[in-house]
Amino acid sequence: MATKVHMEALSPTMEEGRLVKWTKHEGDAVKSGDTLAEVETDKAVMELVARADGQLLKVVVPEGSTVPVGNVVAWIGKPGEKVDGDGASAPAATAPVPAAKPAPRQPPAPAPLPAPAPPAPQPVPADSTRVKASPLARRIAKDAGVDLKLVQGSGPGGRVIKRDVEGAPASSAPAAAPAAPRPTYHAPRTAEPYEDVPLTQIRKTIAKRLAASIGPIPHFFLTTEIDMERAAEAREALNTQLGEAGGKISFNDIIIKAVALALVQHRACNAWFQEDHIRYWNEVHIGMAVAIEDGLITPVIRNADTKSLREISTESRELAGRARNRRLKPEEYTGATFSVSNLGMFDIDQFTAVINPPEAGIVAIGSVAAKAVPDGDRVVVRRRMRLTMSCDHRVIDGATGAAFLRTLKQMLENPLAMLL
Amino acid sequence: MKPLEIIEAGLVPYSEALEWQRQLADDRITGQLAHDILLLLEHPPVVTLGRNSHAAHLLRSSGIDVFEVERGGDVTYHGPGQLVGYPILDLSGYKQDLHWYLRTLEQALIDALGVLDIPAERNAGFTGVWTRGRKIASIGIHVKQWVTWHGFALNVSTDLAHFDRIVPCGIEGVVMTSVERERGAGRSEPLWRESVGAVVAGFQKAFGASIIPSPEGAALAHGSTRSARL
Repeated sequence: MATKVHMEALSPTMEEGRLVKWTKHEGDAVKSGDTLAEVETDKAVMELVARADGQLLKVVVPEGSTVPVGNVVAWIGKPGEKVDGDGASAPAATAPVPAAKPAPRQPPAPAPLPAPAPPAPQPVPADSTRVKASPLARRIAKDAGVDLKLVQGSGPGGRVIKRDVEGAPASSAPAAAPAAPRPTYHAPRTAEPYEDVPLTQIRKTIAKRLAASIGPIPHFFLTTEIDMERAAEAREALNTQLGEAGGKISFNDIIIKAVALALVQHRACNAWFQEDHIRYWNEVHIGMAVAIEDGLITPVIRNADTKSLREISTESRELAGRARNRRLKPEEYTGATFSVSNLGMFDIDQFTAVINPPEAGIVAIGSVAAKAVPDGDRVVVRRRMRLTMSCDHRVIDGATGAAFLRTLKQMLENPLAMLL
Repeated sequence: MKPLEIIEAGLVPYSEALEWQRQLADDRITGQLAHDILLLLEHPPVVTLGRNSHAAHLLRSSGIDVFEVERGGDVTYHGPGQLVGYPILDLSGYKQDLHWYLRTLEQALIDALGVLDIPAERNAGFTGVWTRGRKIASIGIHVKQWVTWHGFALNVSTDLAHFDRIVPCGIEGVVMTSVERERGAGRSEPLWRESVGAVVAGFQKAFGASIIPSPEGAALAHGSTRSARL
């Protein structure tokens, strides 16, 4: 009797492993202890070792496949020996394209066609007791005379659930159905219903980094509208003062300064979430999101709370320029304690930004636009700006974030206070 | 406490070190080698491709040797000033769990960097050790019958410009750093010795191993290729 070779667990939590390389091939003689294949997970490669002597009769999964722990990957036996089911247990392995899951989850047809039973898209296990189905689905199926093997499951893990069984044709019907030509309403251009495109490394990295943020970080968002009339006036006055020689001070410079000063008063928001602790920063380093040709980068204005508007203005322009030319040194775009993202120049009214871990917060700045606002019993036109703060709830609670925003709003609405 | 012999082997060509590891691992599996070993050495400049490598991550061809090896992970660079450690451990003496091993290896390096006053941490989802958002040590391992080989590479005073040739470990945009860079210049002479001591202390603490210093002139260490630093 041939011996099965199973995918082994490299750790108790491992559910599947990627078979990266067969070091023995079908027909090779193997001894117990010989390495048959290499299996990879994370940054570790483990050798799958033969536990029997004989010949490697059959290799069931190709290199590059991801295989659930416990599944058969090969058979060892005497030369010429028959293998059970001859590889019938193979389908659990996914194709080398890692994205593909074996069972394409089709929505249950609302009204099943009466006549031809469509061939199941995957081989059905021969033993009906192995069909995964909920107890309720089993009972309904039994009462209605439905063969569970012919029902496409839409529950968790392909499990057959109640709604899959209800309305399914009784098992006697499909057997007799002739292979009538199927009407082709849609005439597919290619044979495949979909295309799986493997992730490029950059896509993987983006996916990983952003998912590492929005996934595990419990974000919440606080939006406030700020009257920028006085900030606009202050900006115009300062720019007149600076004249042509000094570079112009932007709204963004004023916002960076105000955010930095507000953070000094609200250290609870100037923090990093670390694995087992929260690091509250006593220095304020503001990351400033800058769009570059194929992505974005956040150069850091260090100690922004101690710098003048003019210094911030010169530094941010210089950093943004070098960021676009990819001339930033690593220490210039790492180590921010809080970030500011501004899409006001793109006429975005309001948006939410994704936190850049390990920072605990980021403010998203919309455009400064003239709006009609009530002022006592009349309506006046004021320049207003909407600002949304994204908070990591593991560090910042709603009231904590709101208190910070109140200070920030007061500063921007009374820019002279920043000079104190 | 499991005994762990430390062997400092100096500057060793990659292929030679690979041979040693395979031999030591085989001996550990058969039991000819009765205790665990930590090989500490440096390589002449070399680029290695792990089992998960994508050719595109080797950005620039160069005169540097390229090896394809059986460790996990993507492409990486080894060269002078980088402390490379190859633990040959029988995990049946610890825990038969590769993730436990990867995490404990990271912990040993985090502890070692702590001794050097460098705050270090993990970066969830990316095996290796990081400090202030930059990567300071890489990890890639191989296991057969629960005996490990391959291991880690800690940048002590590595010329970081070499990492520009590759996308280290397949993580785009990763910034590499070194002990020297994190600690500031002017201390490079004792830095290597200090780093070796810190790594040994890290292993002692994280794995709870009892350290056996290697006898002088260990069989593996080639006198002629010993690094000037040793």
